[in-house]
Amino acid sequence: MAVNLSVQIGSLTMKSPVTTGSGTFGFGSEVKDLVDLSKLGAVCVKATTREARRGNPPTRMVETASGVLNAIGLQNGGIENYLAEKAPFLRQFDVPIIVNVPGESPEDFAYVAERLTEAKAADAIELNISCPNVSHGLDYATDPKLTAEVVAAVRKVTALPILAKLSPNVTDIRPIAQAAEDAGADGISLINTVIGTAIDARKRTFKLANKTGGLSGPAIKPVALLAVYRVAQVVKVPIIGMGGIMNATDAIEFILAGATAVAAGTVNFVNPCAAIEIAEGIADYLEKNGFSDVKELVGAVQ
Amino acid sequence: MIHKRLAPVLSVEALPAPGHYVLTFEDAELAQSARPGHFIAVAATSPANPGSALLRKPFSVYKVDPATGTCAILFSIYGPTTRTMAAYQPGELLDLIGPLGGRVFLPVVGEGKHHILVGGGYGVPPLNFLAKTLPGETVTLIHGARTANLLVGSDGLREAGVDVIACTDDGSFGVTGRVTVALEPLLVPGAIVYTCGPTPMMRAVAELCVAKGIPCQVSMETPMPCGIGICVGCVIPRPDGSFSRTCTDGPVYPAEELIWP
Repeated sequence: MAVNLSVQIGSLTMKSPVTTGSGTFGFGSEVKDLVDLSKLGAVCVKATTREARRGNPPTRMVETASGVLNAIGLQNGGIENYLAEKAPFLRQFDVPIIVNVPGESPEDFAYVAERLTEAKAADAIELNISCPNVSHGLDYATDPKLTAEVVAAVRKVTALPILAKLSPNVTDIRPIAQAAEDAGADGISLINTVIGTAIDARKRTFKLANKTGGLSGPAIKPVALLAVYRVAQVVKVPIIGMGGIMNATDAIEFILAGATAVAAGTVNFVNPCAAIEIAEGIADYLEKNGFSDVKELVGAVQ
Repeated sequence: MIHKRLAPVLSVEALPAPGHYVLTFEDAELAQSARPGHFIAVAATSPANPGSALLRKPFSVYKVDPATGTCAILFSIYGPTTRTMAAYQPGELLDLIGPLGGRVFLPVVGEGKHHILVGGGYGVPPLNFLAKTLPGETVTLIHGARTANLLVGSDGLREAGVDVIACTDDGSFGVTGRVTVALEPLLVPGAIVYTCGPTPMMRAVAELCVAKGIPCQVSMETPMPCGIGICVGCVIPRPDGSFSRTCTDGPVYPAEELIWP
């Protein structure tokens, strides 16, 4: 029995509910030998800013118990570099592109969104208003009003689906998700990394040059799953769930909690084919359990 | 072409150096395509193992035999990944991605060239591989370690015609002192230096070569969370202030491109 894995996020159609997570898959070209990109639900590329960014000095990433703590600092070549050098490669494949966009002002977000729209170099825009590693990143998604300002500014310049990527580092994520929805977001990405640190007892220093970083990987899965469940109760737009998804079972848990689609993130560092394998595992689960469409599972646990 | 594969383990041989092993595995494609300086990223633990590692760990290619389709890496026990690898039995599967590395060692061969390989500890295996690719050339390996029984990875080189100079910090074998003691008198026109080992050793070698105007290729060691260029976690600074990924822009850099911490 063939099962239907396709899902819809606003006007974005994904042939499988599994995308890559931003910052964990480069721009796709890095893994061209290993991954058939056309089999992905979508490729979410590394954060792309208005101007090029050098990123933070090393050490940028350390492994922790069941997780990875990073403070990359959004190293990227800027929007014009993306348009000239990254997008043309990805456009060779039959796969939608989600571009993750951070910014330091609503105008920054809108500028990059407009360039992406004009150049047809994205099929959806994920607003990274929640990166814990740069100033003016975390701020937006800790405040419903600031979140709405950014979403509204981008809504004015693009008809592309807008995903608001929110931070778990807040007291209550629900009003922020509602603010994003009210301002015109087509979907909510949950969650960005959880802020944390690591200390080297031998050297008596912080392990990261930036002192703090964002925790990802299986260590944060329960935090992410709860955020998805809670937000699913209060918004109507679809949710892309992410945070520690390592396999199909993890992904199904997010869908049951209320996510329409999911992102494979840190797992790509271990297995760049993970998003494809997870989609296959979801199909297998649906068949074995008598479902014909992945949408039947969305929010099934209440 | 980079591939991801479960490669059958052929043997795990314990070396006389405490905690050191040579793991030989089958991978015909890697045996053909790997060049000295390439590495593989290994995932050896599962979350079911106590103290498991989440990320892959990089290992330099030590030996390849294209005729039999086999490859080897040399490692010492450091954490859960290497502890698991040391216990592998023949027939078990090594989960690897490789060959990895953008820039590898690029020997300049020809008359009057003297290839000087300077290695310490974990750094010697790729230099062993490099030496084997230089038949008919004048090759010297300066091999440093704290003490005699930690001089691992240089096997087979004397037989291949390589002049091996051992240096130990405690004088238990060969020259007493650092590798630079043995290196300095050899830095004359025609010399090309290739180095891999602990960062302080490579820094001393690279700075000596730059001062004397001798070309030097340095295989940088940084933690590599992914090894394939997607995490951007393994960076080192470039002279222009930007950051370079050691996994895909390196791991081998000309000494003059390096900025030491």
